[in-house]
Amino acid sequence: MIYLSSQANTMHVMSSVSMRFVSLSVFYSKTEVATVETELLRDYHFGQQQLIEIWGHACAIAITKAFPLSSLSKKQPTLLVVCGPEQNGSIGLVCARHLRMFEYEPTIFYPKRSPQSLHQDFTVQCEKMDIPFLSYLPTEVQLLNDAYNLVIDAILGPETDHKEVKEPYAGMLVTLKQVKIPIVSVDVPSGCDVDEPAKDGINPEVLISLTAPKKCATGFSGKHFLAGRFLPYDIQKKYELNLPEFPGTECVIEL
Amino acid sequence: MLGVRALFGIGLLVTSRGGSVLTHTGACARIASNIYSKDLTHRQACTMADTIKYLGQEEAQHIDEELFDEYSFSVDQLMELAGLSCATAVSKGYPLQSLLKSPPRVLVICGPGNNGGDGLVCARHLKLFGYEPSVLYPKRPSKQLFQNLTTQCEKMDISFLTEMPEVQHKPQRSIPHRSHCRGARFISHTGYICSWDVENGCPDGIQPDMLISLTAPKKAANHFKGRYHFLGGRFVPPALEQKYQLNLPQYPGTDCVHQLN
Repeated sequence: MIYLSSQANTMHVMSSVSMRFVSLSVFYSKTEVATVETELLRDYHFGQQQLIEIWGHACAIAITKAFPLSSLSKKQPTLLVVCGPEQNGSIGLVCARHLRMFEYEPTIFYPKRSPQSLHQDFTVQCEKMDIPFLSYLPTEVQLLNDAYNLVIDAILGPETDHKEVKEPYAGMLVTLKQVKIPIVSVDVPSGCDVDEPAKDGINPEVLISLTAPKKCATGFSGKHFLAGRFLPYDIQKKYELNLPEFPGTECVIEL
Repeated sequence: MLGVRALFGIGLLVTSRGGSVLTHTGACARIASNIYSKDLTHRQACTMADTIKYLGQEEAQHIDEELFDEYSFSVDQLMELAGLSCATAVSKGYPLQSLLKSPPRVLVICGPGNNGGDGLVCARHLKLFGYEPSVLYPKRPSKQLFQNLTTQCEKMDISFLTEMPEVQHKPQRSIPHRSHCRGARFISHTGYICSWDVENGCPDGIQPDMLISLTAPKKAANHFKGRYHFLGGRFVPPALEQKYQLNLPQYPGTDCVHQLN
């Protein structure tokens, strides 16, 4: 049982299982996300591929915690990873690759591939791992329910303007909102306004916040993970992130 | 100067392989199932067959080349995973609470090649795991990647030493330029052991307590006599593993390291 109370920008989460008190003092706004990422690249000299690798790897680990292989109901540990055109999609690709290494059977739907070579590399890596790519997303929702145990929503991230969701993504969101199988959203539920409590977009069962939770995660009632353990202490202090302590060498923590 | 030869050898990591893009409709799940069941059968066969393969130098280099050229992995991607493996192995072999000294200091000695880059990533993760790493990086390559990794460490307040620190412990033998390393309490090495031949080892070289083999062990690891031999770098595509018959063991769960001994 999780008790949530909110107070200004602070969310207090108490887990009755562990009695661990996890206090998050900041939920990122879209602007703050962009600022921190710029700093990481410009001042800390992280590489974009490096960060995407870190995020994708951590996402995959979070998914294995939320849906261990043994818990999947279908005979094969299948899952569908739906990837959008920008960074969120690339994180999905890296996540799919690691899930493959973890013995899951991902299939990817990646309708609009980024022209950037950086992102194209991630596609090739998945292809060379023999991860199948769908050529279209069936609109008959039952096909998805029957084929996959879960859907990973890596369509739209904080970098996207939720008001201008173009095709094919608008149609995809309509389809995915109808699936009966669990959806896991990477960073933000696709279609939601990053700065407002989520309402119009995908309603996932599991949310994996990358680096720090976004404002749209306020009041999220499903399983919520924080993934990605790399943020320099200076940045954490500067933005007063007050991130929880990751246990041991884990890069994922359930909030 | 120090008279110490490059302490870390050539980095490994890199794989790539040809594969086909499959696009399908309708029967997606069935086709996926066929692909995956083929790989599962292979892995089952591997576990029944020989033990893990120990690579020669040439083979290790070919694998590296394939990872970059055919599989389109980037060095910084794989280096991040390799460095994370190293830090994880160190924390398994030498948990924070087991260390005698406080603060929990670790010296990371980085050579000029990719192995040194792995060390920089390792140092950064060790810092996040609560250790207090310091880095000795006497010869810094001009490549942007290594400069970036150095900056990432510096910005994490990881100190960079200008020279090898004195070691209190009296060395067993008086081999001047190696005595510093010998005197350290535990030495763990990534890749292959510095000053060892990749295939034949070296009885007079450093004898580490822990060896972290990245991607796959090298032949020199047959001469390893330390307590801990870990496999790290969990990114080898199944097809590449099959091609080179690496017979990699199954990593536990989502762990990025596997203890071999």
